[in-house]
Amino acid sequence: MEQVTSSLAPPRAPASSKSGPASSSQSGAGSVAKRLGNELMTLMMSSSPGISAFPKTDSNLFDWMGTIEGASGTVYAGLTFKLSIQFPPNYPYVAPTIKFETPCYHPNVDINTGTICLDILQDKWSAVYSVQTILISLQSLLGEPNNASPLNSDAAALWNNQDAFKVHLMRHYRPLKEDSA
Amino acid sequence: MMMATDALRAQVAAKWQESFTRLNQNEPGIVGLLNFSQAWNIARECIRPRGLDEPDHSALYDKSTFQASFELLNKCRRLPILLESFLEDMRKRFPVIKEEVERYTLEYERTADTSFILNLIFRLLQWYKRWLPMQELGATLHSAFVLSFQTQLFSALTPTFVRGFKELCASTLPSTDPETDGPAPNVEMWKAFETLGLLDRYENIIASVGYEHIEAHVVATCTGQWSVSMLGQLRKWMTDKVVPWMLLMYARNATSADDARAMLQNVGSRFDFHMAKTLCDLRTKEIFDIIIDYPDSSGALQDLKECLHRVDQRAFLVHTLRKANHKRLLHPGADTRLILSQYVATIKCLRLIDPPGVLLFKVADPVRRYLRGRLDTIRCIVSNLVGDDDSGDSLIDESEPIQPLQQSDLEDFTDPNWEPEPVDAGPDFRANKPSDVISTLVSIYDSKDLFVKELQVLLAQRLLAIADDNTEKVERERRNIEILKIRFGEAALQVCEVMLKDMTDSKRIDGHVQSQKTSIIHPTIISKHFWPILEATEIVMPGQFRTFQEEYTKEFSAFKPDKKLRWLPHLGTVKLELKLKDRTVEADVPPLEAAFIELFSQQDVWNMDELIAHVGSSVDRTAALKALLTWVDMGILKELTEKTFKLLEVAEIVAAGARAPRAVTNSAVELLSAPGVQQQQAEQMKVYWKFIEGMLTNLGSLSIDRIQTMLKLAPGYDQTIEQLGVFMEAARLEELVVVRDGMWKLTPK
Repeated sequence: MEQVTSSLAPPRAPASSKSGPASSSQSGAGSVAKRLGNELMTLMMSSSPGISAFPKTDSNLFDWMGTIEGASGTVYAGLTFKLSIQFPPNYPYVAPTIKFETPCYHPNVDINTGTICLDILQDKWSAVYSVQTILISLQSLLGEPNNASPLNSDAAALWNNQDAFKVHLMRHYRPLKEDSA
Repeated sequence: MMMATDALRAQVAAKWQESFTRLNQNEPGIVGLLNFSQAWNIARECIRPRGLDEPDHSALYDKSTFQASFELLNKCRRLPILLESFLEDMRKRFPVIKEEVERYTLEYERTADTSFILNLIFRLLQWYKRWLPMQELGATLHSAFVLSFQTQLFSALTPTFVRGFKELCASTLPSTDPETDGPAPNVEMWKAFETLGLLDRYENIIASVGYEHIEAHVVATCTGQWSVSMLGQLRKWMTDKVVPWMLLMYARNATSADDARAMLQNVGSRFDFHMAKTLCDLRTKEIFDIIIDYPDSSGALQDLKECLHRVDQRAFLVHTLRKANHKRLLHPGADTRLILSQYVATIKCLRLIDPPGVLLFKVADPVRRYLRGRLDTIRCIVSNLVGDDDSGDSLIDESEPIQPLQQSDLEDFTDPNWEPEPVDAGPDFRANKPSDVISTLVSIYDSKDLFVKELQVLLAQRLLAIADDNTEKVERERRNIEILKIRFGEAALQVCEVMLKDMTDSKRIDGHVQSQKTSIIHPTIISKHFWPILEATEIVMPGQFRTFQEEYTKEFSAFKPDKKLRWLPHLGTVKLELKLKDRTVEADVPPLEAAFIELFSQQDVWNMDELIAHVGSSVDRTAALKALLTWVDMGILKELTEKTFKLLEVAEIVAAGARAPRAVTNSAVELLSAPGVQQQQAEQMKVYWKFIEGMLTNLGSLSIDRIQTMLKLAPGYDQTIEQLGVFMEAARLEELVVVRDGMWKLTPK
């Protein structure tokens, strides 16, 4: 009976999409939610090491929390960074807004606001990208910064001296508290 | 220089002469002066503050002598001087009294016996009377004495005395035991209090004694007594016991009953207010339990209503009840049903207390918000609506008339009975006209559509659970739906109507099909578009069952060519008769069990995986194992090794006194298979584990409730929170996660 009961329950999807941000139409929000649901499923099932993301609540699929581990062999190895990911109502036609929540000392990351300078998050965005591809790009950006257009010029200047860079990095690094949820 | 001295001398001489003349009173020589001197001595001796054991002045002089002396002094205008010297004498003598006060209070402190205080007061009274100047000496002297005596007395009284005094007053109160009479009123004592000025000075203390007495009485008699109104009883008690006591204090000098009443009016209403406030506080403190006890607690509610009129503590009541609700009701430990019934009781109770509903609105808000967040609230309400409640009393009053749901509509200002909102109504207070309980419950949600949907699901379950074409039960469902139509409106329940029609149609169609070709299966034919989505597991029934199904389908398509029959075999039940070598077994089992046992008629030993392959391989292993274990329990199958089962054509020989050992083997089997089951579940949960891992990685530590709700994001997640709990526990054993204070997180790397 338990099985029947739960399977008979009305589908939850409309409820979750309803509470999403205001969008042009109900069906539009529904399809975005569906796409996000699929992306979540793909991300969960693929085992890309060191990247992960998940919606903050079950009621709002448009607001996620992400995690990136620094790749081994880079100065960021062993460090974990939290990101906030916010999807616009017209995703995937517009890029999501991504910020570092963990302070990240990096040439292309604003140490105070967490803003990221990455082309695919701005003018080079395409609807074929997904949460997964963004996270992978960000992970590789950690090890290979674009020092030509730095947001954090100090970090860019210091990049060539990896030991000194590491010292600065560790001075800013603060793991987020466990109860962040 | 000399001149000045002369002038001075002359001035002094003149002054001297004047004073002398006044004292001498024109008597010859110094006779007047001598008389004055004698009169002074007599007067002073007369009013001298004496010790209690000294002889009275009247023993020394008679009254006339004294009066004559006094006259003389008055004539010489020497009375103020006399008064001053009298007060000075008194001041000098006062340490005697002070010493006595100390002695008595010390004694009281040692023994805690108030009689010492009482004795002290009488002793003080003696002193007072002893020193009190005669009436004849005029009001000035008298009042000067009283003032001076009281001032010095009060400064001598210690805090210990005050305590003793309070206790002494308390001892005069009527006993709390209604049977025994209070102590005989000690009029003397009250008089002494007044004479000594203690009444005025300690009025607060005496009143507080009265207040405390009332509080104690209210708490003692009313706590937990909710069935009848206590207020009348309390008022009678006040009249019988407290008022006589108050009379002593506040209306001693009353000459008539009316006089006394007038004197008591002020203080009496203060005491009555205090009584009401105490009762109000008590009932406010008990309000949560009073609501639980409703309707057996209507007396208490009546009291509370009346007290709230007298004492303005509505805000406090709201605050207390909200706090109690938060602490005792709105937490995961409370059953939704319980919360609902408490909510309904709250509605009824607060409507009694406050008909306009402001209190209710303020209290109900958090409850409603909480209920909205609970997943099974709708189900609870709906199952209550259809009377599908196995757990005791219904939320709905039987006597409440069934009526259409009321929408909270705009205020009708043309209504001649319109009243403005109560003053303490908040800005978002909706003047919800007293509507019925069901409307209130349904209004927890913004729309009634949710209810209608849930109603359909519930109806589907109940209809499908009806076995053996039990028309009576279908009729009962129909009756329920008819009742609900009145509430929700005809249109909303159209789908339910179709579902019910399907049930009768099924019977008719079945009748027809059977008349063409008898079949042993009796399907319920439901219209796909009108029923809630049913779980579709594709069991392919093997052997004879399939043949039956196919034959039936053929007949059905002949009868209704425009319709296609799709089987949902897992929802049915099968009545079986198993003929084995040595025995016949009858059983009512689910179709999967039937399918498996059918397969055992082909061969005696089966591997579970093969069995699953034969029924369409969509059956999950847990269900399969469960089905097989059903037969094991019945002694039809035997588990040879894990996953391999053998048909017992001949029942296993069991030793005498078989029952108990069998039970043991049974549970042993279950124990052995338990890890297997859990493993399978874990396999099934592998997908969900990815999600759990994902959320724990990104969101930190989460409670099990939170994980359960977040798993809604995983497609097809259908585990209960208990199952999730088992799973998380297994994950913990595998050291994938750790738990602390109910919060789960990934094992730190």
